[in-house]
Amino acid sequence: MTFQRPILWIHEEALGANNPALQAWPDAPAVFVFDTRWIQTARISRKRLGFLYENALDLPLTLRKGDVAAEVLAFARRHQADGVVSSSAVDPRLERIGAAIEAELPLELLDPEPFVELPRPPRLGRFSRYWREAEAVVWEGYSPTR
Amino acid sequence: MPSAASPPINGDLPRQFASRDALNTLLAQEFPEAEGELSPIRGGREAAEGKLRRIDARRYAKSRNHLKGAVTGLSPYIRHGVLSLAEVRDSVFARIRNRDEGGKLINELGWRDFWQRMWLDLGDGIHDDQEPFKTGHDAGTYARELPADVRAGSTGLACMDGFRDQLVTSGWLHNHARMWMAAWLVHWRRVHWKAGADWFLEHLLDGDPASNHLSWQWVASTFSHKPYFFNRGNLERYSDGHYCESCPSANSCPFEGSYDQLENQLFAPMPAIRDSGNNRNQQRNRQRRSSGGASAALARPKR
Repeated sequence: MTFQRPILWIHEEALGANNPALQAWPDAPAVFVFDTRWIQTARISRKRLGFLYENALDLPLTLRKGDVAAEVLAFARRHQADGVVSSSAVDPRLERIGAAIEAELPLELLDPEPFVELPRPPRLGRFSRYWREAEAVVWEGYSPTR
Repeated sequence: MPSAASPPINGDLPRQFASRDALNTLLAQEFPEAEGELSPIRGGREAAEGKLRRIDARRYAKSRNHLKGAVTGLSPYIRHGVLSLAEVRDSVFARIRNRDEGGKLINELGWRDFWQRMWLDLGDGIHDDQEPFKTGHDAGTYARELPADVRAGSTGLACMDGFRDQLVTSGWLHNHARMWMAAWLVHWRRVHWKAGADWFLEHLLDGDPASNHLSWQWVASTFSHKPYFFNRGNLERYSDGHYCESCPSANSCPFEGSYDQLENQLFAPMPAIRDSGNNRNQQRNRQRRSSGGASAALARPKR
């Protein structure tokens, strides 16, 4: 999928310069939205909001608050965007927001750099099972002589 | 500081602040329901890189179970993607002379990756008990609300009130303190893990249901073979006696006793488990006391 003029939705899991959407589209308008419903229902304290805010200020983002999908779509209209680019998320709340955005505009999700790439999905359930498969692969990147 | 690529319009939140106090004031206006003040822990790349530079993998491996140990404090930055796990991994690789030096720290990064994979797998199911409790108590007997004295930090236990104060003012707690607090709430106060886990998420800068909820479930025994608990000797040792010295409850400490005594006091007999889980727990706890090693005394999960 190639957009001509996308906007970027930056969310709580990827507030760093290594965000793959920011790296792929360094000049595109980007927005971060404080999710007011989540903040209220989960009783999120000001500490956490301040921490998110300070992380967001390091990036070239427009900051908004409110209903996240509605705000992202309004930001897209503000820039006559033909699509939204973001990074894939683990949090199901962010996935639902992504689905709500995608109902209105094409959404492309880019994967952040993984910690370890395994040939097949590891067995979960207990850490030991996962680590038996992952540990050696993680250490492949290490060389004591470098 | 970069500026937004988009010229500001009405409703955009400000990007320029004369001071941190001004940010605090703005947040109070925009999010009046969000309680408390800013954390002394700052967000942003510069703060994250400062912590990254101070990583000491060797000292971490030796001292991580102590409240004053050489832990990295990177979790809030990793949780929000300011630093990726891959970046931290490479930073550790660049600082160690051999694999042994970095083993413990890389293992902890693995825990973070594991929890994230579990969350991706479980979705919203992460909020439910993953397995039955192995405490001999029915899930329904655990209180669903956080007790008021816990929330207020007025329990009279210097350690737990101290951890609560640190949680509420800084939004960060050492992993061992998180585990003690979780074990105390679930096993001594008989509060359901979800009430405690949700309370932690109100405050923790690194809070996400993956590491947090699953670690609470690990302590509670709904995501492990047996409950995690501790005794006064363990807490006193890894907190350097800091809390016990001035504790008003020092002479009536609920954590006083051997692991066997506490196990009998806290958990109801479970015939099916007795033969396996709890006996293993006793053996493990005996080993802990006899070996006295830091890693032996601290059971696992990391948030």
